[in-house]
Amino acid sequence: MSDVPTASDIEARLRQVSGLPETLDASFDAFEAIRRAARDCQDRVPELFAAFMMTADAAVDGREALTPAPSLPPTSGIEPGHAGTARADASEVADALAALAAVLRDRLIGAAALAGTPDDQAACQDAAEAAGRICQLMTR
Amino acid sequence: MTVTPVFGEFLGPAGEHISAAVSFRGELPYDAQCGVVGQLDRLVATLARYLTDLPDGPDLNRRPERSAGTRNVAARLALGRAAQNLHHAAAGTADAVIGRAHPVVGHLSAAADYLAAGRDLLHTHFFVEPTGARTGASYWAPVITSGPVAAALLAELASYAQDLAPWITRQSGARQVGWGKLTSAQLALRSAEPWLQLAGMAIQAAQRAHYPLPARSLLAAIPANAPPPRQPPVPGAPACELCERIPLTAERLRYAAFALADRARWPATTSASWRRDALASAITSHASELILRGLAERASQLSLEADLQAQMHTAACGMARAWKTWRIVTDQWDIATTGHPRGARPTPVATEIGDLALQAGRLAYRNPHWTTAYGNASLIRDPAGLAQSPGDVIAVLAAVHHAADAIGRIAAADHAAVLDAVGNRLYVPTRLLPENYDIPHPYAPAPRAYVDALLRAYDSAIDATAHTTTALDDIATAVDAPSSVLAAARQASAAARHEQHRQQDQQSASQPHVLAPVPGRTEQALRKLRIRDPALLLRAAVIDQAAHDLVAQARAAAHSRDIVAGPASRPLPAVRRNGDRSARVASQDIGTARAAQLSTPRSGTIKPGISPGRSHPAAPGRSRRFAR
Repeated sequence: MSDVPTASDIEARLRQVSGLPETLDASFDAFEAIRRAARDCQDRVPELFAAFMMTADAAVDGREALTPAPSLPPTSGIEPGHAGTARADASEVADALAALAAVLRDRLIGAAALAGTPDDQAACQDAAEAAGRICQLMTR
Repeated sequence: MTVTPVFGEFLGPAGEHISAAVSFRGELPYDAQCGVVGQLDRLVATLARYLTDLPDGPDLNRRPERSAGTRNVAARLALGRAAQNLHHAAAGTADAVIGRAHPVVGHLSAAADYLAAGRDLLHTHFFVEPTGARTGASYWAPVITSGPVAAALLAELASYAQDLAPWITRQSGARQVGWGKLTSAQLALRSAEPWLQLAGMAIQAAQRAHYPLPARSLLAAIPANAPPPRQPPVPGAPACELCERIPLTAERLRYAAFALADRARWPATTSASWRRDALASAITSHASELILRGLAERASQLSLEADLQAQMHTAACGMARAWKTWRIVTDQWDIATTGHPRGARPTPVATEIGDLALQAGRLAYRNPHWTTAYGNASLIRDPAGLAQSPGDVIAVLAAVHHAADAIGRIAAADHAAVLDAVGNRLYVPTRLLPENYDIPHPYAPAPRAYVDALLRAYDSAIDATAHTTTALDDIATAVDAPSSVLAAARQASAAARHEQHRQQDQQSASQPHVLAPVPGRTEQALRKLRIRDPALLLRAAVIDQAAHDLVAQARAAAHSRDIVAGPASRPLPAVRRNGDRSARVASQDIGTARAAQLSTPRSGTIKPGISPGRSHPAAPGRSRRFAR
């Protein structure tokens, strides 16, 4: 039994958090988990190399968008996790990432509406755009 | 599809018009004679300007004391004299009816126009500094000044002069016994003809002596310094169309990469652009490996040469190594960053490099609507679907070659920019650091280990890309692919750089050669003796030029000596009265004005290396969002 959060754990955390700092915190970790999963899968199937490479890049974009947000807590103390598993095939990982990215995008759009400062709002909007890209890239 | 004009489109017609003009065997009427003089004046002046533009031959800088004796200088002097003779006559007939309607005059006029336009095209690749020195403005600039291209140009100019001279002899009434029956136009032609003859021989001799390997096809392929229009990926484009678009996209990226080399520094460029470049390089190289493997198999199916199949296989293996190294670069950019300044725009390269990845992907995969999204993923193309005929194999190979070449140039520009960023604006998000890093800021300076790993990754990617590009250079040259011009340009450019470095090492103070516009003392002495033999006059002119250069060089040396000796030997009263010791010491090195600045106390403290008031948005010490 691994302590590393899976895609479903991360998705559940995203759904449960409330308030801007917690949402930003969970979103940052979700992007990092997506990045790790995409990197693990990028070499598995030649036909999906570009899709997973682009997904990892979009996850970095999302994470970088959130990093300067004033309301992002310094550290969550929670292991970001891994949105895929070593045993899952690339298609299953893609499905999981697409689903997670959809939730992430929706939560960030909601967070942008809650944001009290322009910097927080811009961070949420940019990150939501990155999550939307991941969703497009990973949808079969 | 709009294509950038190339030098060959001007050179070819110029030669054709000169050939057409000199094929006229009849006797020209007087007004046409005047027209010929006028157009020859323009033509010869343009030829002389081409010679002036050419770099001095290798021997010129190696042995500056003999520079004026080289044949290139002799050719320039001879053309100058021919132009002088024609120009005086042409000025005299300016108001006359000059027979523009005659076909010969039209041909000479068109040749002069084409040559002038071609020279303008070459000039688009250079900036002229206030000092008059030329600086390269494109990656073609070192190619233009390289020996093989200079050789090709000299050979062309020599052939023009040698075609024109005997024809002028016929038209100048040389068979007529006396001078008294000649028209003024014929007299001008007769005066110019021997100089043109000598110029032709001297140009040819200069080419053979200094640049033995002319590269005419490379000369003809030099484009105007303007990027082709953007080639947005067209969904459903067939392989043949992709093979036409990829070279144009690659060419645009080469132009953008050259421009980026100067402008990639802070604050214009962020890591997001470098990350995107690396990502697209990985995807393009990955697709290129698949394409090359398909080509190798197709070459086997078409029973093409076994060597070619083996070379393509080797190139595919090299490309596999290349994309893996690029993937490692993207991994490194997952962590390292310059921060996320709002409003920062991607560079032109980062904006368009995705086009190259998309086009390469559509060539590699079966789905003509392929994108990087999972939903548009597709199986790899069958080799027969990639290239039906041997000609298609070459076209596809050329497309891959162009893509690899562009990636290599972008990599070099990005690497230089990243090196510049190391040490002052590379960070990592503190949330990604281990918990024992207690830093109350979102970013911390990138630990040395991250930076070293990033730079090592770039080194490997650049090395792997260069290795693969060289392999593709060899194949393209062997099969005479359209992209073989890239290989020739790379070789010429490398040779030019090598020669430039060698010359800089050997002598740094050579003066530009300015040809004396009027006859010097020796030539005047010969003229007073009524010597009219152009060969003797040319020798005299060369001697005068040598004396002129020697005096110029001596003046420059004396001027340099005065500058070095002057200020250091004079006292600096103000500095010594008011300045501190360090300012006095500094003044001995950097001169009076700067020393006075140093000795003047200023309010406030200025840290070394930081300009007051200069914005450093991402510098750790200047933003609360970054760790100190």
